[in-house]
Amino acid sequence: MTAAEVLKPPASPAGVAGPGPAGLRLVWLHLRSRRAPAGIGALAVCGALLHLALHWHWAFNSGAYAQQVPMIIEAGAATVIAVTAYSPFGETERSAGRWLPCLRLLTVAGMCGLAIALLQLGAVGESLNAGVLVLARNVIGITGIGLLCSLVTGALLAWTLPMGYMLFCQYALLQAWTAPWVWPVRPPADRGAWIWACAVFAAGLLLFAIRGPRTRLSDDS
Amino acid sequence: MLTGIHRSFGKNKAVDGVSLELGSGVFGLLGPNGAGKTSLLRMLATVLPPSSGEIRLLERDPRGPAARREIRRRLGYLPQNLGYYPSFTVVEFIEYFALLKEMPSARVPKAVAVAVERVDLGAKAKAKLRTLSGGMLRRVGIAQAIVNDPDLLLLDEPTAGLDPEQRVQFRALLRSLGETATVVVSTHLVEDVGAACSEVALMSAGKIVFRGTPDELTARGAGHGVGDAPLERGYSAVLSAARS
Amino acid sequence: MSVTSMPPSRLASARLAPSRLALPSAARALWLEFKRNAVPYVLPLLAAVFYFNTVRTADGFPPVWTLRASAITDHMLFEFSAFAGGLAAWAGSREGRRKTTDMVATTPRAAWARLSITLAGTLSWLLLAFLAGVAVLYVQTALQATWGGPPLWPVFVGAAGVTVVTVIGFACGVLFPGRFTAPLVAIVALVLFQTGLRQALGVAASSGTYALLSPASSPPVVDAGVYYHAAPDLSIVQVMFMGGTALALFGALGLATALRELTPSRGLASLRAGLARTDGWLLRAVAVILVACGVAASWTAFALAGTAKPDAVGGWQIPALHSAASDQPVPATPACTSSSGFQVCVHPAFSFYLNDVAAVLDPVAAEIAGLPGAPLSAKEVASISGGQDVPSGISGNPPVFEFTAERVGMYFGQFLGIPDPVGWREGFQQGLLDAFLARPSQQAGSVPLGPAQQAVEDALLTAAGANVSATIGKMLENGQPIAGPPAVRSAAQRFGALSASARHAWLAGHLAALRAGTITLAQIP
Repeated sequence: MTAAEVLKPPASPAGVAGPGPAGLRLVWLHLRSRRAPAGIGALAVCGALLHLALHWHWAFNSGAYAQQVPMIIEAGAATVIAVTAYSPFGETERSAGRWLPCLRLLTVAGMCGLAIALLQLGAVGESLNAGVLVLARNVIGITGIGLLCSLVTGALLAWTLPMGYMLFCQYALLQAWTAPWVWPVRPPADRGAWIWACAVFAAGLLLFAIRGPRTRLSDDS
Repeated sequence: MLTGIHRSFGKNKAVDGVSLELGSGVFGLLGPNGAGKTSLLRMLATVLPPSSGEIRLLERDPRGPAARREIRRRLGYLPQNLGYYPSFTVVEFIEYFALLKEMPSARVPKAVAVAVERVDLGAKAKAKLRTLSGGMLRRVGIAQAIVNDPDLLLLDEPTAGLDPEQRVQFRALLRSLGETATVVVSTHLVEDVGAACSEVALMSAGKIVFRGTPDELTARGAGHGVGDAPLERGYSAVLSAARS
Repeated sequence: MSVTSMPPSRLASARLAPSRLALPSAARALWLEFKRNAVPYVLPLLAAVFYFNTVRTADGFPPVWTLRASAITDHMLFEFSAFAGGLAAWAGSREGRRKTTDMVATTPRAAWARLSITLAGTLSWLLLAFLAGVAVLYVQTALQATWGGPPLWPVFVGAAGVTVVTVIGFACGVLFPGRFTAPLVAIVALVLFQTGLRQALGVAASSGTYALLSPASSPPVVDAGVYYHAAPDLSIVQVMFMGGTALALFGALGLATALRELTPSRGLASLRAGLARTDGWLLRAVAVILVACGVAASWTAFALAGTAKPDAVGGWQIPALHSAASDQPVPATPACTSSSGFQVCVHPAFSFYLNDVAAVLDPVAAEIAGLPGAPLSAKEVASISGGQDVPSGISGNPPVFEFTAERVGMYFGQFLGIPDPVGWREGFQQGLLDAFLARPSQQAGSVPLGPAQQAVEDALLTAAGANVSATIGKMLENGQPIAGPPAVRSAAQRFGALSASARHAWLAGHLAALRAGTITLAQIP
């Protein structure tokens, strides 16, 4: 055996894919590491819960009270998305390469879209008082809060601040507040509410994509 | 004492007909990855039941809850992957396990202090676990395993992450513990086995392929080319023979 | 001397000196858990939500103990449910998340005992926070209330609610130690709470029993627990139900962990073999007893709730639990004032607004003093009696204007979130005049006033200092409702422009016809 033979790079192992499939494979593995499939299942549970709530009239039929239960479920979907931000790899992943921000962004955006779709599916055939626009606005806005929360508490506890915000909005709903930063209680066409919700989502998504959720030493082990 | 122990995970035979009798002293368990060392250790720790065979630990059958409870009072276990609660301090973590091991309440503080000092973490006693390095965490794991002065001490990769000086101290600690207890150490590091163990077993594919003293293992490596140290050569020689 | 032969230094003992308080093992472990639990980190957020959702809502209630205490079950429990369920699930999943399962499994303490310590630590924090919130609410009320004392049953119900949600969340965390368990438990707890509220607000004899078992309810009538005792029947049943559920779940958790220890492998055969073992029987027996007791308590509560029926004072009574003593009126000496000769009396629980009531009624009473049917005094009465709402009205000989406390909520902003003392005052004055101008056979306000009656009422209100709006009251002309037509306003202005004595004299001669509805607008001077 010569040095040249020793130094010759080994032949590629069979089954290694080219750039295209490798990208999809990377996305799929990333989603699995975030337990996104289980998260989609959790979102489906939220959709089913919304369907039951509307079908069996758990919510009031009209007025401010009608939005109470749907708001809770929409916030629940947003917390599920926030919790999928958790990475089991910690620093190992951060040092691995440059695709991580894109993967994070794709994951959150995809989960948001799926959440809106699944919740709307749950509302099909029933009367969702505030409509799909408010549903979508609540999901993306409260997800933004969850992502911002994950920067402080870590992803596994990122459900706490969205939950607190939603409870606060329950009070604002009954008191008929008009401030745009309580967007879950505003009408569908309220421009200020949309601006706030989108701004919070954008800020949360940007910071989360770049920095990722807070990790501690224990999360690496 | 283990007699004809088998353990399978589906079709995978992790432990395949192992019989062992251990007394006081430090017993090393060597073997390549996937040899079944951790599975064997987990069975000794009463965490995993064998698929078949008989185990007697400290003259008791661990299948009975009362006997198992008594064994666990006198057992210390350090798993390969140490889980911990990051907000606990070193002392709190060890104290927590001392209490779980049903140590008398009055003895706990002193036992915790002794355990902390024995692993040389006195200066970090009040530090939260999340602030510790990997090697220090490993020492915390060792401390919780020895806090109750166990009669049976099971350590899985105990020196992972320890620096050479700490490994020397740890081997000395093992030797002292082995004077009164049965200590089983599973490791990849043959030099740890050579320095601390009075007896060693080598596992391969779920079976024990060698049992003897470190010197006897070294002797088996005479004339074998693979390995940088005599014990490594003996290790490689035994494995090669077992595989062929 | 080597490390092994060197004894641990005295420094070790000094650095890690044992605490002076020698606690039993379980207490020490509980203290550790208490110190390092995750709940305190969320308390600031919970406090903020508590302030906005509970405190500010309660501020809008009059300072009546029963009313303010209703915020505990209607609002506090709502926000605590979310965090209790989620944080308990977080605590229960800790061993799975932190990968300490093997290490703790090798310790002799039963898994149930170990989990109990974690559950106890988490529950202790949550109950402490809950009781702190109750203390804030009650201290605030104590500084404002003028009668009565803090009711304890809402506190028991609230504590039972927090406990059952915590146990449910904890059990979910133990059984499903995944990342989605905590938020999903929080959301489901909230939805169940809201569902209970929805059912409770529509509760009737035909509603499901679940409605009554739900601790959330609509705010009670303003004078609940004031004139008559608030029967604790429903609260007892709710505490039994929630407490029983928590106990049963706790026992089931113990049974599950005990059986897991006895059955080394999965499968029915292993389970049967485990159940047949005689060792470890004590733990299983205790778990089974707890499950049985819990199920019995919950089922009994469920059955009792099914026998509930409305009582005479706007609450619910359960025959098996009801005490006849709670049906008796609560003795109280009315608080009265008669600075202008027109005596106004209110229940001492409402004495905080006695002077305001007197200031509101005095000018109106002065306008109609001496006229047939004009009240000589005003007295506050219970809003519900004999199961029926009591309307305001003038009755008795000598005539007394009887009113209820239902308007006091508006004074504090209970309904709109904004105090509306002007609206309250004008509505109150209108209530007196409605009763005065109504036909004797009519209840005040049951039939809208005619145009002439409305014009006279508007004029008298203006004379009493009210800012009459054209939309106050409904009017009927030819059976159709009309809102403040110019003719009514014009007649009111004419009548109001008269001197007080002229108005008084005209009313003295035309009151009967006015009440009968035979006076037209043109006939008003």
